Amino acid sequence: MDIPWADRLALFQFALLAALCAGLVCPLLGALLYLRRTSFYGITLPQFATAGVVFGFVALPWWIEHIGLGGLSVEVALSDSHAAMNYHVAWAAVFTFGGLLWLDFLARRSRQDVGRVAAAFAIASAATILFSRLSVVGASFVEELLHGEVLGVGLHEFETLAGLLSLVLLAFGFFHKQLVFVSYDREMALVLGVRVFAFETLLTLITGLAISVGTMTLGPLIVFGLLVVPPLAARAWSRSMKSYLILSSAFGVLAVVLGVVASFELDLPLSAAIVAVAGLELLPGLALNRLRR
Amino acid sequence: MTTLLQLSGVSFGYGGKPIVAGVDLSVDAGDFIGIVGPNGAGKTTLFRGILGLLPVLSGHMRRLTEAVGYVPQRENLDAIYPVTVEEVVEMGAYSRLKSLGGIARADRELASACIERVGLTDMRRAPFSSLSGGQRQRVLVARGLMASPKLLLLDEPTSGVDRTAQARIIELLIDLNQREGMAILLVSHQLAMVRETVRKVLWVSEGHVLHGDANELLRPENLDRLYATGEPKSTAKA
Repeated sequence: MDIPWADRLALFQFALLAALCAGLVCPLLGALLYLRRTSFYGITLPQFATAGVVFGFVALPWWIEHIGLGGLSVEVALSDSHAAMNYHVAWAAVFTFGGLLWLDFLARRSRQDVGRVAAAFAIASAATILFSRLSVVGASFVEELLHGEVLGVGLHEFETLAGLLSLVLLAFGFFHKQLVFVSYDREMALVLGVRVFAFETLLTLITGLAISVGTMTLGPLIVFGLLVVPPLAARAWSRSMKSYLILSSAFGVLAVVLGVVASFELDLPLSAAIVAVAGLELLPGLALNRLRR
Repeated sequence: MTTLLQLSGVSFGYGGKPIVAGVDLSVDAGDFIGIVGPNGAGKTTLFRGILGLLPVLSGHMRRLTEAVGYVPQRENLDAIYPVTVEEVVEMGAYSRLKSLGGIARADRELASACIERVGLTDMRRAPFSSLSGGQRQRVLVARGLMASPKLLLLDEPTSGVDRTAQARIIELLIDLNQREGMAILLVSHQLAMVRETVRKVLWVSEGHVLHGDANELLRPENLDRLYATGEPKSTAKA
């Protein structure tokens, strides 16, 4: 490509800003998922969100006919998914929260965590494909969603994403100590009278919210990549919880910035480039751990 | 004597089914009590019930002080968390967080004092996971002290640590009990340590609780009978 950098940045400004927001916020939530040993949730829940988005397309004709969607016709809503974004985010949220509550319910009944989450991932993936067959948008749209057409993000999507992720960031900033505490030592928190259920619910809410809006806007690949990989890369360098959270977020933002550069310079798909760069961030930590041994 | 905790005919259990029943216990300021008994006898159930983690199924429990510190088993804490000694101890003040700010200056100072009290000031910025078992246990005692407790409850405080570390922990607990008049209630399966350290003992066996003087109830000749029948040769009421 020989388009000047400034023009590319201007052209894709909303997409890049959206990716930066995700790079800042998703690793913070991913850090808690990792510490709670539920990193697989970071892979499975975006798949639930994807299934929700695709189900939204299945239900769209019925929804517009019986409930209505701000005066949109079925044709407009189908041809321009931006116009019906809030509708799709809502379906992504319904499926994400449903998946999260289901996994939490099963976790309380059984300790077979990995198998349970893997089964949920398989079911959500199958549901996504089946819904795509039932929807009028078809499998090609789902392919596009799965690969994450980040560069197509417009102003409205960015505003929605930035608004909701700001809420998540504020909640995390205000309550991160309590969220860490109820994860680290739930029993002690109960003994001290900390509102454990309230903080566990808050963590579920902000995780579900970030995954729903992130998946709808940027696609599942970038969301689960940023939830899982930067916190893993940051762990090797962290000697305190404070430094761990800061580094996780910093690694997320760095992955987005370098991923954008790699994508533009090498003409690579943006989501995959960001996640690949995040993967490279693991290497220095692995070397450090080897040296420590 | 100020009574801090009183249990009258209390039963604790899971799913409405009592595991320990008919417990009578009074903990006064300055008491040093050990909860002992065979594995699976209900020690942990009794301890969790006293902590308020299990509902009282029958009888009455009255906690007459809010100043209760708790020291869990260190094995329950996952080493994957990159927390420092200071961060772990400050968690003892998290019930007082006002959400919008960090930890209060007074609580920071209290955390420093508690860390100093357990002799780990030099290691306050060290990762918790890098410490030895004994040092970790002292950190958890420091966290328990963040409640400025009149009653300190400890779950297997000397389990899995070497003799030197065990001696330091016991020395610390005796000091807290004797110098500061703190009532201490600990669960342990280390009978020799309990006999040498505490004054009163609760022997939990098959859901029932016996009270007694530590030296009397945990005499070797009594222990054989306790394990065999759940009854001592002679029982003193606490």
